[in-house]
Amino acid sequence: MAVDVHAEHTTAHAPPPPRRGMQRLTGPGWLRVLWTMPLGWVFATLLVIGARSAMGFEPLWELQVLIVAWTVVVPLAFLAGIGGFDYWAYWISGKPTRPEDHSGHGARTWRDYFRVNTDHKVIGIQYLVTTVFFFVAAGLMAMFMRAELARPGMQYVDTNTFNGLFSVHASLMIFLFIIPAFAGLGNYVIPLMIGAPDMAFPRLNALSFWLLPIAGLIMLSSYLVPDGGAFAAGWTNYVPLAVNQADGNLMFQMGVQWAGASSIMTALNFLVTIITMRAPGMTFWRMPLLVWANFATSTLVVLATPFVAGSQFFIMFDRVLHTNFFNPELGGDIIAYQHIFWFYSHPAVYIMMLPGFGIASEVISVFARKPIFGYRLMALSLMAILILGFSVWAHHMFVSGMQPWIRIPMMVTTLVIAVPTGIKVFSWLATLWEGRLHFKTPMLFALGFVSMFVIGGLSGIYLGSIPIDIHASDTYFVVAHIHYVLFGGSLFTIFAGIYYWFPKMTGRMYNERLGQIHFWLTFVGFNVTFFPMHWVGLQGMPRRVADYSPEFGNWNLVISIASFGLGASTIVFLYNMIVSWRRGEPAPSNPWRALTLEWQVSSPPPVFNFDEIPQVVGSPYEYGVRGARHAVLNGDRAEVEPREKVEA
Amino acid sequence: MTLVGVAVGAALAVVAVFIPWLPDAASEQAGIVDSVYWVVTIICVVIFALVAGVSVYAVYKFRAPPGDMDDGSPIHGHTGIEIVWTLIPTILVTAIAIYSGVALAQAEDVPSDHRVIAVTGEQFAWTFTYPDIEVEGGRPLTTGELVVPVDQTVEFEITSKDVIHSFWVPEWRMKQDAVQGVTTRTVVKPTKIGEYDVVCTELCGLGHATMRSRARVLSMADFQAWVEEQQRLAREGGAVQGKELFTQQCGSCHTLADAGTTGEVGPDLDEALQGVDADFVMESIVDPSASIAEGYEDAMPDNFGEVFTEPQLEGLVEYLLQATGGGN
Repeated sequence: MAVDVHAEHTTAHAPPPPRRGMQRLTGPGWLRVLWTMPLGWVFATLLVIGARSAMGFEPLWELQVLIVAWTVVVPLAFLAGIGGFDYWAYWISGKPTRPEDHSGHGARTWRDYFRVNTDHKVIGIQYLVTTVFFFVAAGLMAMFMRAELARPGMQYVDTNTFNGLFSVHASLMIFLFIIPAFAGLGNYVIPLMIGAPDMAFPRLNALSFWLLPIAGLIMLSSYLVPDGGAFAAGWTNYVPLAVNQADGNLMFQMGVQWAGASSIMTALNFLVTIITMRAPGMTFWRMPLLVWANFATSTLVVLATPFVAGSQFFIMFDRVLHTNFFNPELGGDIIAYQHIFWFYSHPAVYIMMLPGFGIASEVISVFARKPIFGYRLMALSLMAILILGFSVWAHHMFVSGMQPWIRIPMMVTTLVIAVPTGIKVFSWLATLWEGRLHFKTPMLFALGFVSMFVIGGLSGIYLGSIPIDIHASDTYFVVAHIHYVLFGGSLFTIFAGIYYWFPKMTGRMYNERLGQIHFWLTFVGFNVTFFPMHWVGLQGMPRRVADYSPEFGNWNLVISIASFGLGASTIVFLYNMIVSWRRGEPAPSNPWRALTLEWQVSSPPPVFNFDEIPQVVGSPYEYGVRGARHAVLNGDRAEVEPREKVEA
Repeated sequence: MTLVGVAVGAALAVVAVFIPWLPDAASEQAGIVDSVYWVVTIICVVIFALVAGVSVYAVYKFRAPPGDMDDGSPIHGHTGIEIVWTLIPTILVTAIAIYSGVALAQAEDVPSDHRVIAVTGEQFAWTFTYPDIEVEGGRPLTTGELVVPVDQTVEFEITSKDVIHSFWVPEWRMKQDAVQGVTTRTVVKPTKIGEYDVVCTELCGLGHATMRSRARVLSMADFQAWVEEQQRLAREGGAVQGKELFTQQCGSCHTLADAGTTGEVGPDLDEALQGVDADFVMESIVDPSASIAEGYEDAMPDNFGEVFTEPQLEGLVEYLLQATGGGN
């Protein structure tokens, strides 16, 4: 029955007629990109050279300035070429907007994934595939690092390359993988979960996605910058090192702008969608926790991200415009940079955690066949983390030389934020209690997340305590901590989410056996890689070093070998995803017997998600409650009344 | 359930207690930091054992049989339990915060009879200045290795000439960033005679990994003797003192077979100094930017002319020429 209805949608929004002749070059698409990008490059170059010669500056070809101009103009030219601005350009210029307005909506062939597409489901998959690409790139960099670190002394790379490796590794993992991977999952799932046909601003959504590969390619191409190569001051890009560095550093400053803009636009879209487009009956207290989590995350993104953008702009101004924000000789303040940077980057840790909390809640509840324990407190603790998350940033600066008194209140808030986090962990455990646990791959990753995240959270208590932090900060203990939080926490939940929604997204089941192998390889490899780092760090090995004291040689060898195993586990994941996507068993609409709305439509869902907007009538987690329903969908209506009568 | 909990707890306690997590404690501050560390460890082990015990038990006990289509018990929450697991962690973290705050105040307490040593970081070396010890020419004693007497509190006044560095001796536990334009402070009362590494923990550029120096803790009598020796060397110079200076100040960046150093940031001096004369060596030390060896960056600190006394510089040049067979 459902299929017929969808076929109708598809024909109603057929692709536009094929373009002919010159139209191929002038219409939105990759052919237009081929000439807009070089044009943008020439324009930016002439602008800089023209302006410099008008001002009498020498030399005319100043790479720093050119990099700034190129990284602003060329991406804009790309976006214009691919068609990111078409609709708005027509509208602003008073021309009729294209009548077949939904032509860029939904995907009929793989080619539609390479277009500006306004369908949140297509965008979600675009996000996930793009972010997995950068995940693999950044992971390979980690492999190079571990190869170098396997033995003390220098073997394969020089220190400049090594510093570049860990800087680009972290930047890609954070800005091009974890944050946007959650945005991708959210993009796919949120409108479905709240019973909406799409996001509130589909065109903005498409634009947000296309900013992302730009940011990633800018960061990656920093390797091509002559004299010094990639940015190599860490992803934290502390001044004055960042200001003194070779030109490649600008690629970080500019890359972050594009990634940040993408984040902010997506977050605004999520907020407006969640606030205004919930299906009738979907009150805030009936929203799935994933939606709550993205609501909190998006608020964090909107409020915090401008600070990291600002911090990197200040560095760029210091370099290019010769301002003195961070030059102490002319009244600048070095430590101020760290305050601005961490005012974003601590909340960013929660930006990278809260959506994972949401995924864990969905997965654990479904695979334990139980309502989530303490739903309201779960939602409120997200809000508590959101608020407290803004008051802890200076715990990254206990040894920075800032005013000593600031450390105390920051320590208190840092430790207190463990309370709402603890509530969540305890509630997940209580959700398992008296459940009927099914250990499918998503559940394994969700449970792996809970246990690993507890270790990361507890090592966070150590680092929150000022005396311990004074000893442990900037050592491998911190490296262990962030990887337990971001790998054991964020990445495990991203894997859980990808496996969980894979049937919905692709319409096919993944290979369960390979999924289980992937989990166990990852779980064991992860722990053997990162747990010994706690010890190595406390013993005195600083982080971000290419060479280290020989006493740590044996443990580093163990860590490196384990990390190669961990890296190899990704091959299993990629193989499973690619092969299952092409040839997996067709997925039923609701393979996990879940109650949330995305599972009540076909896999993959119809272009506009619901043939009729669903009516939400109860909580999304009423497993085991007789006769309870989350929503009434079209066609089910007849069944509802007799059931309610039975209940009465 | 209890059994699982006890087993997990015992296993964790072994890991937590019987592995020597922290290096040797060689200062009063280390004792204080370590006591906080162990209190936090006990609390965290209990919490982790609880979480791990419950997880393992639940995974074992509540796993669904194959083909099971039933749901679990529809438990939505329990206000009492929720209050308990909000309150107890609140109390625990408050206790940790108070204990940490008190410990911090103790660790950073500066008694009136303390010694001040100025620490300057730069790419990629540490310089230590003793403002109350005078050497030749009325200038304060300045060294590349840190030497302190045991059982006397030292307040380090730390700054940087360029990027941020961070001063850390793991066995002392105290760490403090060195920031240009700012004087930061940290306090250490060494309690054990011995030799320790001074490690830079803030990424400072190409030579970050090798930006290390040595901290020696001596008895008061040995310290006095060391001070007098330094004063004598600063007065007399000579190749012997030059070798010592080289090992302390130059070896982290330069390879020199005679001194047994293997730094790779700067040129290998066994090769670079073949067939050069004393003037070139002197110029390369006091004005390193004047001539840069091919394939290297202009990264060497340019302050050695100020840090070293005239006799020290001459001794260093003499030693370098001796060690590389040059000077003819």
